[in-house]
Amino acid sequence: MIQTIAKPQEKKVTGCGECRSTCQSACKTSCTVGNQSCERVTREEKIERK
Amino acid sequence: MVHVFTYHDKFYIYDTGSGSLHTCDEKTAGYLSGAPVSISDEELKATLADIEGLKAAGLLYAEEPAAYPMKSSEVKALCLHVSHDCNLRCKYCFADEGAYHSVRETMSFEVSKAAIDFLLKNSGNRKVLEVDFFGGEPLMNLDVVKRTVYYAKEEAAKLGKKFLFTTTTNGLLLDDETIQFFNEEMENVVLSLDGRKEVHDAVRKTVNGKGSFDVVIEKIKKFVRARGDKHYYVRGTFTAKNLDFSKDVLFLADEGFDSLSMEPVVTDIPELQIKEEHLAQIEQEYETLCDEYVKREAEGKGFNFFHFNVDLEGGPCLQKRVSACGAGNEYFSVVPNGDIYPCHQFAGDSKWRMGSVLEGTLNAELRKQFAESCLFTRKKCGDCFAKFICSGGCNANNYHYNGDINTPYEMTCAMMKKRIECAMHVLAERKNREKK
Repeated sequence: MIQTIAKPQEKKVTGCGECRSTCQSACKTSCTVGNQSCERVTREEKIERK
Repeated sequence: MVHVFTYHDKFYIYDTGSGSLHTCDEKTAGYLSGAPVSISDEELKATLADIEGLKAAGLLYAEEPAAYPMKSSEVKALCLHVSHDCNLRCKYCFADEGAYHSVRETMSFEVSKAAIDFLLKNSGNRKVLEVDFFGGEPLMNLDVVKRTVYYAKEEAAKLGKKFLFTTTTNGLLLDDETIQFFNEEMENVVLSLDGRKEVHDAVRKTVNGKGSFDVVIEKIKKFVRARGDKHYYVRGTFTAKNLDFSKDVLFLADEGFDSLSMEPVVTDIPELQIKEEHLAQIEQEYETLCDEYVKREAEGKGFNFFHFNVDLEGGPCLQKRVSACGAGNEYFSVVPNGDIYPCHQFAGDSKWRMGSVLEGTLNAELRKQFAESCLFTRKKCGDCFAKFICSGGCNANNYHYNGDINTPYEMTCAMMKKRIECAMHVLAERKNREKK
């Protein structure tokens, strides 16, 4: 039996470049693009929460 | 591409094409990975029905999407090396204990101002810009950090833009005034602390050769208490001397720090360098850490470990995932004399000097080389399940270990893959708890 745990949300805007620069995170040596969030999505979620 | 992996008694399927994660039973995992399994007709029928259903939904064996790296000509971030000097003499420092294989010097305000002007001028329509203050030890040049922040905010406001600032510090010079400044102005603060006292003090020594742990940990604790809910990371480095680094991460968590990162050392010092023979132990350590991480999270005593945060649902878009970190194209480092390098890991190597903020120059050929470097120019990444998460690894690591920014270093690949599997397990366990 296979159960889905997670799947990506559909992006309304892609390639907009508003995401934070990868090197602004914690590591400075093991930068991981997939650890980042989409700023558009994050921003929209914050607006919804208000 | 489908990646089937186990974590203790759990079986997972990660579909590279769709970016989705599934869990399954042992027989299904065996069937999907092509291993010989004893499976009844009825079980096989049910498994095939699940597979077909997910295929129809585009969540399994999904075709890998055609994607192109972002073709941005906008600069969005700078790393300002405000001090090529340091008040510590850490053995493993990639930056030659702060001096970057050159003279010890600090950045003047004239240079940092020119860097801000350079960023604003080259940022196109981008509204949010980023600057991180780096060293050496940036607090050895705090006055320039402060003046740069105020100048950048003022100039950005005139253009309807905004800056997010980060500082990376060893914490030695943190005082009440600096803590207040950081809390008012820094979006993120990264504080270096390696974990247990004996581990930290073995490498992170003062100029006089004394361990810095006792002074630093109290200052960092004070900072974190005052930080509230703003971002920070306590960041450690592990070496061949503390391959049991899960103990250091958990030590830091037990000391009350709840936002942590622990990175493999970048050094060629033989006794500290991470080598292939260490890999099995490192992978085991990530599992040990992951087990405790999941346990603490379930008990409501969780903390944030940077590398267990892979965002499968709200993560970056595909273009970003194939474009790598952006160093040398949308992100640059500026050293004290105003010279520009692709990132801090290239600073001081004249081969990679890209221009100068004082002269307003930027080498278009070198920039093109970095802009074009992406997941698809890294041939080794083609059949790797992690490619849309790691984006082909670090340009600097690739260059320093393999002599080419497009050839990933196998050791960092192996560690990355293990961390990603752990992160997926963390996510699955979290989702399970939410269901209950």
